[in-house]
Amino acid sequence: MKIVAVGNSLYGDDGVGAAVLDRIRADNLFPDAELIDAGTDALSLIDRFEPDGLNVVIDAAMMGCEPGRVQRFTPEQARLRIQWDHLSLHGFGLAETFAMAESIGCMPRRVVILGVEPEEIRIDRGLSDAVASAVPEVLQLIQAEVRDDEADHPGH
Amino acid sequence: MSTNLDIKVHHLTRVEGHGNIVVNMTDGVLEKARLEIVEAPRYFEAMLKGRSFHEAAIITSRICGICSLGHQMTSFKATEQALGLEVSEQTVLLRKLLVHGATLQSNILHALFLAAPDFLKVGSVFPLVASHPDVVKAALRMKRLANEIAEVISGRAVHPISCVPGGFTALPTPAQLLSLKEKLENQMVPDLAFVAEVLASLAAEIPAFTRETEYISLRSDDDYALYDGDICSTDTGRVSDAEYLGMTNEFIVPHSTSKHCKVNRSSYMVGALARWNNNHDRLCPAALAVAGKLGLEPGCYNPFMNTIAQVVEAVHCALDSVEIIDELLTRGIVDEQPNQEPTRFGTGIGATEVPRGILYHEYTYDRQGRIAAANCVIPTGQNLGNIDDDMRQIVPEVLDRPEKEIAHLLEMLVRAYDPCISCSVHMLDVKFVK
Repeated sequence: MKIVAVGNSLYGDDGVGAAVLDRIRADNLFPDAELIDAGTDALSLIDRFEPDGLNVVIDAAMMGCEPGRVQRFTPEQARLRIQWDHLSLHGFGLAETFAMAESIGCMPRRVVILGVEPEEIRIDRGLSDAVASAVPEVLQLIQAEVRDDEADHPGH
Repeated sequence: MSTNLDIKVHHLTRVEGHGNIVVNMTDGVLEKARLEIVEAPRYFEAMLKGRSFHEAAIITSRICGICSLGHQMTSFKATEQALGLEVSEQTVLLRKLLVHGATLQSNILHALFLAAPDFLKVGSVFPLVASHPDVVKAALRMKRLANEIAEVISGRAVHPISCVPGGFTALPTPAQLLSLKEKLENQMVPDLAFVAEVLASLAAEIPAFTRETEYISLRSDDDYALYDGDICSTDTGRVSDAEYLGMTNEFIVPHSTSKHCKVNRSSYMVGALARWNNNHDRLCPAALAVAGKLGLEPGCYNPFMNTIAQVVEAVHCALDSVEIIDELLTRGIVDEQPNQEPTRFGTGIGATEVPRGILYHEYTYDRQGRIAAANCVIPTGQNLGNIDDDMRQIVPEVLDRPEKEIAHLLEMLVRAYDPCISCSVHMLDVKFVK
């Protein structure tokens, strides 16, 4: 199992994934999981996903709900906005990475995204109160994923 | 021929900022031709103030996912100079290996994911996956190996952990280095040969545009300067990196929140083509052979050839990595601790070639080992004026083409430089399927 954070911890609520990984490390939760902080290089995940096991991705996500709201979804349940006409490699994010993985046939079978609606994406801010207080809920949701996964795929 | 043009290509890239191409011509008079960067001004320099020397590289390496390692190396060099920290030859060799890995990764992805779709006229890399899966898979294979270099040398592919100011906290084993060497020779080198073949077949698609400008890169007596060297201009020759302010001259323009730069002309170019023009005599024979095959000649003034220069460099980086590994294995890996005992507290400058050009960091430390002042000059800022000057020349030359084609050509031009636009935040933009 892999727990993946995407986002830039220098930019306020975009650092929610990294904050969750910090908490997991500090409290020694999910000892069997590999923790990956992809930072802003989402494309590097393309060959680091677990092909057959569970991949839980934590990212700030603009979902149109109130700040701090956590939603669980799979890539199939969401239309992730892909930018097709890039001026720069710097635009490749998670949506593009999934699209690329899908089209070259290396999309992992089990991906769950835990999106956290950000309040503020500003440099040198730290997490907003709304997003910081969502971290325990994210941890509970990861716990639920692990439980469901063990029930559905014993031995993985 | 059109005498009126109104081109606006808006690239909304997520939250933070975007690059817009704006061209405006009325009655044959070109009023505007430029790349507008609308991006929240960056506060990294302010953020560094008061931080300890242990933190500087950790913070700056998070400025950008793609240029992470370049910021880290440049930050180390600035800190080490400011604090009088000498590093070992082994540290320099390992860092050069890391720089090669980062350059390989960025150059290959740029050539195959951004530029090749233009040459193949498929719009973006996504259709390329269906039409040329072998190209995309080779690119990802090379990216994986480049990541592995970072993992072996610095403990992690993204945001490395074991390289610190003064050296390394953990070192690769000879077996790991040998395994990297074998993969470089048996995977990377053949993959690069394949990429060179693909690009050679597309050479006719590279726009024939020429505008001589000033080319600035590092230059070294010993090697093809990436990790270190003097600042070298095709106009005025070499100066020490201590003179970087006079070799950048940042100034503010109204249409961009990123500063522009100039030295001896209205603009200058940094990046692979500048490095090629200054340092082609330092490349290994195999890289020069690829340059010959791809039609890249010394004194090349076509910015679209930047992509080709990147591929030539990638060949050099792969083969030089093999040589560095051989040297490390011959010397034997010495189990040494990083030198983190400052001998002074002053000002230091780091200048490194990152894939998009020279990156400068300058830090001044106080007596407590905390940063009192910081300055970072990034390659994209240095290239912006040059991109505008290219646009001002190219637009009048292609007025007989349809407006859409002109717009696409200008996008290709911007892509050739691969500017660092809005890399700092990557949030998901989600619409749920109903």
